[in-house]
Amino acid sequence: MAVDLGKMADLLIAGKVEDVSNMTQEAIDEGLKPQEILDKGLIAGMDVVGQRFKACEMFIPEVLRSAKAMSAGMDKLRPLLSESEAKAAGTFVIGTVKGDLHDIGKNLVGMMFEGAGFKVVNLGIDLDTQVFVDAVKEHKPDLLGMSALLTTTMPRMGEVINALKEAGIRDQVKVMVGGAPVTEEFAKEIGADIYGANAASSVDKGREAIGK
Amino acid sequence: MTFRTNYTVNRTPRFSLLSEDQKARIFRGVIKTLNDTGANVHHEKVRELLANNRCKVDGKRVRIPPEVVRDALASLPPTTTIYSWDGQEEMCYVEPGRSYFGPGPTPPNFIDTETLERRPYQRKDATIVARVCDALPNIGYVQSLGSIDDVTHALSDVYEFADMIQNTRKVIMNWAFSEENVRDEHRIGIVMAGGEEAFKRYPNFIHYSEPISPLTSDFDAIGKCYYCAQHRIPQVYTPCSIGGATVPATHAGQIITAMSESMVGVVVSQLLNPGTCILIGGVQSILDMRRTIYSYGAPELSIMSAAFTEMLNYVGLPMYSTAGCTDTKKMELQSGIEAAFSIHMAMMSGANFVHDNGYTESGITGDVFQTVMDDEIIGMSRLICGGVEVNEETLAVDEICNVGPGGHYLYEDHTMKWFRKHWQPTLMDRNSYEDWDAQGRLTMKDRIIKKTRDIIENHEGPISKVPNEAKKDIEKILDEAEERVRSKSK
Repeated sequence: MAVDLGKMADLLIAGKVEDVSNMTQEAIDEGLKPQEILDKGLIAGMDVVGQRFKACEMFIPEVLRSAKAMSAGMDKLRPLLSESEAKAAGTFVIGTVKGDLHDIGKNLVGMMFEGAGFKVVNLGIDLDTQVFVDAVKEHKPDLLGMSALLTTTMPRMGEVINALKEAGIRDQVKVMVGGAPVTEEFAKEIGADIYGANAASSVDKGREAIGK
Repeated sequence: MTFRTNYTVNRTPRFSLLSEDQKARIFRGVIKTLNDTGANVHHEKVRELLANNRCKVDGKRVRIPPEVVRDALASLPPTTTIYSWDGQEEMCYVEPGRSYFGPGPTPPNFIDTETLERRPYQRKDATIVARVCDALPNIGYVQSLGSIDDVTHALSDVYEFADMIQNTRKVIMNWAFSEENVRDEHRIGIVMAGGEEAFKRYPNFIHYSEPISPLTSDFDAIGKCYYCAQHRIPQVYTPCSIGGATVPATHAGQIITAMSESMVGVVVSQLLNPGTCILIGGVQSILDMRRTIYSYGAPELSIMSAAFTEMLNYVGLPMYSTAGCTDTKKMELQSGIEAAFSIHMAMMSGANFVHDNGYTESGITGDVFQTVMDDEIIGMSRLICGGVEVNEETLAVDEICNVGPGGHYLYEDHTMKWFRKHWQPTLMDRNSYEDWDAQGRLTMKDRIIKKTRDIIENHEGPISKVPNEAKKDIEKILDEAEERVRSKSK
C-alpha cells in the first residue's frame, strides 16, 4: 500500500513524533522522492500547524511537538536530499553566552526552527566565545543565534561577533540575538543582523534574512 | 468593656486554598524531589558545605535528605526585624500574616517620568523610585524597578543601592551581580548604619537573589546566598518559575519545583548561620502558550502565590510574593484590573513581602506611575483585610437607641471618634459631576501622573540627613569598585 503523505501531515499536526519518523522511513523505502515526502508530508503538515497557531487554535507545546515530529522526519530525509535541497532547508546554530545558565528561551527558539525544517545545533549554555566560532566553522550554519538573560552577559554576544570577524567568517553567517533584556538597538550596536523579539517571530525574521 | 466567655473573634477575612492534607502532600513532594533528585549547585565551596552536612554530592548534583531539610526549617527565626538605615525605626517586622508591598528589581526599561516614554533605565531613576516610594504610605519596602544603563554595567547594582538608600528611610531590597558586589552593598549598608556593630544590631537592607528553574543554583546566586547567610543579612532566595516551560504546568507541581529550588538556599543559610532570615516564594506564573511571554497579569500568578504562601506558613518560612504588576505596555484599564486582582489576593493570603508593584510589559519595563496607582489599591485592600471589628463600642447599640428613628449621626461623639477610620482616596474620583468638570475632567491616568510628579517635586526624602562622612565613604566604596572592574578588564 502506498504511503499516504496526507496522513503523514495529519500525524505531524497531531504531534506523533515516532509515527512520523516511521512513516517517513516507509515512504523512503517505497521509493518516494525525498523532496516529495518533504513537501507533501512534513512541510504540508507544518504549514497547517503555522496557520492554526496564528489562529489561536494550537498553542506552543503542541507546535513544539509537531516541530519535533518534523525534525524526526527531517533526520531521515536529510542524508537523501541533494546538496541543494538540503541546503534549502537551512542550518541553525544556537547557544547561551558565557556566564549565563538560562536555558528556556534559547531552547524554545531552537525548537521553533526545527519546526521550520532547519537542522538545529543546540550548543547549550555558559559557552566560551570560541565554542561559537568553532561551531560556525564546523557546521557552516546559515544562522547563528545567541541568547542572554543577564545584562552582565549581554556584551558577550558582541564579543562573539568580533571573534567571528577576526576568524574571517563573519560574512558566512547571519547572526541573530535575543533574550529578555536584549533590544533592537542593542542588536544593532553589537553588529548583529537580526533581533529576535520572541520565538515565533525569530523564525520568520531568520528565514527572511537568509531568503528561505 | 464586658468580657464574654466562649467568644469567637473573626476579625479579618479568612482565605485558604489548601487543606491540611493537600499541604502535607505538596511538602512530601518537595522532600522527595530534594532527596531523590536534588538540585545542581554550581559552587564548589557550597557543595563542600552540603557534603559535610549529610547531603549527597555527586558532581554538581546535591541531594538533600529529609532530616537536613527538617533541621534547617527548625532553625529558622520566628521573626526578624529590619530597620531604617539610621537604626531609629522598625521598618519591617517579618512574621506570618504581616504584609509589606514594594516594587521589584531589574527591568531593563523605565517609563520616563517626564516624557512618559519607555527608555533604558538611568541612574537618576533609582533616586526617583526611592523618593516616590518613601512618600507612599502603603509601600512598605523599596526595590529599584530597573537596572541602570548609564553607569559601568558591572556595577549598576552597587550604584543603584548607593543612591537609593540615601533617598528613603524604608528598607531597601537590593540585588547584585556577584558576591563581590554584595560585599560592596554590605559595606554601604554598614556605612549608613554607622558601623559594623550597628548594622548587625539594626540590619537595613534585604538582599534578593534567584536560583534558576528547574532545580539549579548557579555560582553567583548561591555565592550571594552564602555571603548573606555568613553575615546574617536578611535575604530572599527565589526563582522566577515559568509554568509549563521551566516547571510543570500544574500549580501543585510548580510549587513543589520552586520550593525545592529555594530550599537549597534555606539549607545553606541555616547550616552557615542558624537563625538567619531567609524568604522564599518568588514569581510563580505561567508561560503564555500563544505569545511565549512570562505573564505578570495572569490569574494563575495570584492563585499560585497564595497557595505558596500557605505552604510556607505550613513549614514556618516567610513568603516573598508578587502583585501589582501587569502585562500592558501603557497605563490603561488592564493595568488597574490586573494590579487590583493580584494585590488583593496577595493581601488576603498574608504574604510577607509582595514585590513587583510597578512592573509593566511582563516585567520588561518598570513604571513608578504603576507603583503610585498600586499604593492606592493596597490601601483599599488593607481596609478590607482589616475586617469588621465587633465589640461593645463598635456595635454602637447605645448610640442607635439614643439617636432613635429619624435622627442623624453627624453630631455624635461616636461618629467623631470613628469616621476617620474610613478609607480616604487619594486617586479615586468621588467628585460630583460639576466638581469633576470644573477641575478639568481629570482621568485616573491624569491624577496618577499629577500625584507622582507632585511627589518627585516636593518630597525630598532623607537625603539631607545623610551625614557628609557617610556620603564620602560611599563615594570611596564606588571608586574602589570601579578600580576593581578596571583592573579586571585589563
